[in-house]
Amino acid sequence: MEGIFTYAPAIALLPLAAFVVALCFGNAMPKKGAIAGIFATAGSLGLSLLMLAAVASGEVHHETYYQWAAGETAGHSAAQGIEFTFGILIDPLSALMLVIVSLIALLVHVFSLGYMNAEGETGLPRYYAELGLFTFSMLAFVYADNLLMAFMFFELVGLCSYLLIGFWFRTESAPSAAKKAFLVTRFGDYFFLVGVVAIGATFGTLAFAGDNSFVAQAEAALDGGETLFGFDARTWITITGLLVLGGVIGKSAQFPLQTWLPDAMEGPTTVSALIHAATMVAAGVYLVARMFGYYALSPTALGIIAFVGGFTALFAASMAVVKDDIKQVLAYSTISQYGYMMLGLGVGGYVAGVFHLMNHAFFKALLFLGAGAVIILMHHEQNMWKMGGLKEKAPVTYYTFLAGALALAGIIPFSGFWSKDEVLYDALILGLENQLYLAAYAMGLIAVFFTGFYTFRMVVLTFHGEPRSEAAEDPHDIGWSVKAPLIVLGLLSLTAGIANLAPVGKLLDMDIMFLEMWLDGHYGGLEELTYGAYSDTLAHETGAIAGSEQTTLLVGAALSLGLALSGAGLAWTLYSGSDPAQHTQRLGSVRELLRSNYYQDEFQVWLAEGLTLPVARTADRFDQSVIDGVVDGVSSVSLFGSGWIKRIQTGIVTNYAALIVGGFVGLLVVLGVYGGWFV
Amino acid sequence: MSVGIEHYVLLSMALFCIGLFGVLTRRNALLFLMSVELMLNAANVNLIAFSFYHGNLTGQVFALFTMALAAAEVAVGLGIILVLYRNFRDVDVTVPSTMRW
Repeated sequence: MEGIFTYAPAIALLPLAAFVVALCFGNAMPKKGAIAGIFATAGSLGLSLLMLAAVASGEVHHETYYQWAAGETAGHSAAQGIEFTFGILIDPLSALMLVIVSLIALLVHVFSLGYMNAEGETGLPRYYAELGLFTFSMLAFVYADNLLMAFMFFELVGLCSYLLIGFWFRTESAPSAAKKAFLVTRFGDYFFLVGVVAIGATFGTLAFAGDNSFVAQAEAALDGGETLFGFDARTWITITGLLVLGGVIGKSAQFPLQTWLPDAMEGPTTVSALIHAATMVAAGVYLVARMFGYYALSPTALGIIAFVGGFTALFAASMAVVKDDIKQVLAYSTISQYGYMMLGLGVGGYVAGVFHLMNHAFFKALLFLGAGAVIILMHHEQNMWKMGGLKEKAPVTYYTFLAGALALAGIIPFSGFWSKDEVLYDALILGLENQLYLAAYAMGLIAVFFTGFYTFRMVVLTFHGEPRSEAAEDPHDIGWSVKAPLIVLGLLSLTAGIANLAPVGKLLDMDIMFLEMWLDGHYGGLEELTYGAYSDTLAHETGAIAGSEQTTLLVGAALSLGLALSGAGLAWTLYSGSDPAQHTQRLGSVRELLRSNYYQDEFQVWLAEGLTLPVARTADRFDQSVIDGVVDGVSSVSLFGSGWIKRIQTGIVTNYAALIVGGFVGLLVVLGVYGGWFV
Repeated sequence: MSVGIEHYVLLSMALFCIGLFGVLTRRNALLFLMSVELMLNAANVNLIAFSFYHGNLTGQVFALFTMALAAAEVAVGLGIILVLYRNFRDVDVTVPSTMRW
């Protein structure tokens, strides 16, 4: 398998080629560029699977392909000089993520045939070109071997999502949603950039792996008790880690930068699937997993990650409860689920976080594509109150959507249960020792109930009961290109949990936690980038209920499963029946608060208009009066002075001659006086 | 030879001062031109006198240059005076003062 890594660059370059092809020749091609995209992503998927197999056989790939700048560094613990390169790092984590991203991208391309082409959309070459570029950026981001390259493709991912969210740019809402997504994530990325510069300047390298990675440098600085930029090493690592986290919070839509994501639903539903499952939003969490060794050095940063994650999980889940638009419910569930991943990573559950990232990619792509299928069925109606009764008319959509919903709600044995349970278990064992983590765990646990509720509210309203509109009575047909991706993802949502059946493995004492072994480098991997190495660095103290790991496991699983089932059951009893009532009305003012997203948008607009604008006005006034005043003063003094002095130019030649003579005589006299002629 | 260098210098100075006086007091452009010629010739007298005094010919050569220059200057100056007259029906140098600020 040695030679297979030669083809590693092609994984990202194939979609880039598809981008060029779709952009230049899309109009002339059958299916307007979709074919190029499908072949490219299928090629990427094939190569990614080969990489996965190669990594499984014990190999890793870490190679620098191109160095585009090198120079000296100012940092004192730096090596000889800093190099800015493009390189590829394929280890268990990135190989796994490559497969996920290219698989989702392929399925989204196929689904687009039914969702975009069959619905007669215009601008399809642009659509497929942007999808190709999006896939390219994400794949390159995933196997970037240094932080700067990761940052560059992180930005490109943001740009592509901007383009795709604003795909229907002739409507009023899509361009504004695209701008919002771009600006809000850019706000986070600003901190990321500062963090990249800080890390580069401190450690003289930006590489993720290798003996001279910035993680290794940071560890050495920590061991040596060095002082970096006037802080002790751990404080400085925390500061830079949190700066990078700014980008993560923006991209992964964590509190308080989550407001862009629900608006991003203005894009085509296929794009939402890609953004939420595999690319844009996943990029943030993946970055934390990628540089987990760095965060492991800073318990403070990890604590903040855990707390923000737990809070976001609950916060977003509560908003999803009252939404009527099927895509809005899914949007808030995405924010909430990424909160779980952050919680998992924050409590040191590297495997749990990555596991949930993988499962979420499958079931959220499934749910969004399912929602896309529903929107086709419903002739582009998205309000769940106008749906109902689709169960009999579209069984494939129903059963696959149900599989996704069960996984999202975390019902055993669907994939979501296993990963969410592992996240919560990791949080619980830490929480028993530490109050902060316990609070984060509690929020995550309560969010499970809300998740079960809103998921089944969505399922019941969409598919059960009697049709509540003409469109629902006479649904549009859907083709194989819609059904096939749904079936693939439905099967994955059902079975992906097998990858890491941690509770079963621990209870029965069996070695079936494949993902944990995979990420721990049992099959192959870089030693410093394994779960075991991270855990050694972290050295968390964990507790257990009644002193037994099994009991803790069972109590945790029973709690989360019980809450998920009761949430789902509550939704079922409230909304089933032929004509469900709008029970959320009874929440009164709370409903208003939730529907307005806790007035987050209003708050951010106030921040811009009520706070930033006056400050900017004051600064402007200072600029206009003081700075410009000084400049204007200088010019008016010289204008006034020259108004007087110009009068010596009379226009009469005689006066000029007299001035010349007078000046010359004056000069002679001065020279004479100083030269001593008259002495 | 009995005429000392100081006499030439005095002559030259007198010529120059007459020319300068003309430039500063007269308003007729033609007289301006003549005064300038006087000043140039004062310089020529000086050049030749010192050339003779030092016994080399450089000063004389330069005096020839100055004469050529003076001829050229007169040609240009007369041209200007003709245009002046055509525009103002006068050769008074104080009249055309509109080209200032």
